[in-house]
Amino acid sequence: MAAAAAVVAESLAGYRARAARAVLEQVVLPGEELLLPEQEDGEGPGGTGERPLRLNAGARSRGRVVCGPGLRRCGDRLLVTKCGRLRHKEPGSGSGGGVYWVDSQQKRYVPVKGDHVIGIVTAKSGDIFKVDVGGSEPASLSYLAFEGATKRNRPNVQVGDLIYGQFVVANKDMEPEMVCIDSCGRACGMGVIGQDGLLFKVTLGLIRRLLAPDCEILQEVGKLYPLEIVFGMNGRIWVKAKTIQQTLILANILEACEHMTADQRKQIFSRLAES
Amino acid sequence: MAGLELLSDQGYRVDGRRAGELRKIQARMGVFAQADGSAYIEQGNTKALAVVYGPHEIRGSRARALPDRALVNCQYSSATFSTGERKRRPHGDRKSCEMGLQLRQTFEAAVLTQLHPRSQIDIYVQVLQADGGTYAACVNAATLAVLDAGIPMRDFVCACSAGFVDGTALADLSHVEEAAGGPQLALALLPSSGQIALLEMDARLHEDHLEQVLEAAAHAARDVHTLLDRVVRQHVQEASILLGD
Repeated sequence: MAAAAAVVAESLAGYRARAARAVLEQVVLPGEELLLPEQEDGEGPGGTGERPLRLNAGARSRGRVVCGPGLRRCGDRLLVTKCGRLRHKEPGSGSGGGVYWVDSQQKRYVPVKGDHVIGIVTAKSGDIFKVDVGGSEPASLSYLAFEGATKRNRPNVQVGDLIYGQFVVANKDMEPEMVCIDSCGRACGMGVIGQDGLLFKVTLGLIRRLLAPDCEILQEVGKLYPLEIVFGMNGRIWVKAKTIQQTLILANILEACEHMTADQRKQIFSRLAES
Repeated sequence: MAGLELLSDQGYRVDGRRAGELRKIQARMGVFAQADGSAYIEQGNTKALAVVYGPHEIRGSRARALPDRALVNCQYSSATFSTGERKRRPHGDRKSCEMGLQLRQTFEAAVLTQLHPRSQIDIYVQVLQADGGTYAACVNAATLAVLDAGIPMRDFVCACSAGFVDGTALADLSHVEEAAGGPQLALALLPSSGQIALLEMDARLHEDHLEQVLEAAAHAARDVHTLLDRVVRQHVQEASILLGD
């Protein structure tokens, strides 16, 4: 009863702004405001909030804090706009206060510059291909953006082909543009994805999990059958194994990984390895 | 039913609740696999299901695309078996359009549409069982569905209905209380800032009583927020356990 009354009292008062450092790895919801470490110092046990005078003004600032997906700057605080866990990454070297972001689960992809994605060619118009990447607009891909492509030597891309490429332009105001070469002109595994195989869709959170550096799911899958696999950050996975049955088994496992705990997964893998 | 008293002398309503008490709320997120976001809510006997798709390309005419914001498209539909008598409601009828418009106004206030210009966000709400407070249940279900879809929002939107009987403001009206004919008000609130997203009333209420009824509705909406908060936290924790965090 007392707990319920306390909860109601807090909800009536509205969310008080909390320090971002205190909420790391916890669930945050839209409407909450977070204080960055700089503002926290100012509101510390100083009472009136005075900051001590320092001779070296530059030393006080901790550098810029980058606010990533799920957070918006509102005044001098961060407003949470998605539900998920708050994460923080320390800056690798020197300046900057690190990155804060909200790790949220989503199925719909929003194009981000630099992401590698799998797209489906939907139209060829003049010099560019229109590629569906699962966002709110089809991306455009120039025919010269392939390795070794020149005006005379056009790449062999048909409508319905799968393309693995990365975004060079992706913001909310412009149509996204993708290319299949890196800045040096090499393909690096990008381009048209070969024949056969199966393309299926999973959530974005699972893709990020599978692409993490030490992912056990991927190591276990690799031991099961020899396979080729391509992960797109837009939630699409293309997989190809020796037979159709093996391909389907792999696709089902990867889709089900989202809803299984680690133990259930190990059971399934051991059962498949026996048979 | 002449002589049905909505508020007894001891302060109990027809279903045994107190004046400011809400009905039991149960909600679940992520009930549909195909949609980008979905949620189901039960407020007492009122059951609503909300499904969200987006942000995706504008369907239909390109001319409707807004250059600086996303278009929010809401559709409300009420199942034929949702009321006491089975009633077939054609898709574009007046009540559905009006509810769709109200839902759209509510969510344009909360969703950060500037982040997705020239795209469209679809919110489809279906009422499976209507026992009063259908607008409130639709808004609460749609909020959870939009959160499930990962569309950035300024804040939750929590809604509740309120009425006025015998000098007392009642919160979260059931169908019996709505049908009795007294004034009723629907309020949608952004709880953290206390801002009102939508306030709707089409009955006559003396202005002296307005503040009391509004306060009752706002208090009830904040209680709804507490409950939805708990539902979302539990959902996120379950999802992250499965992903092995």
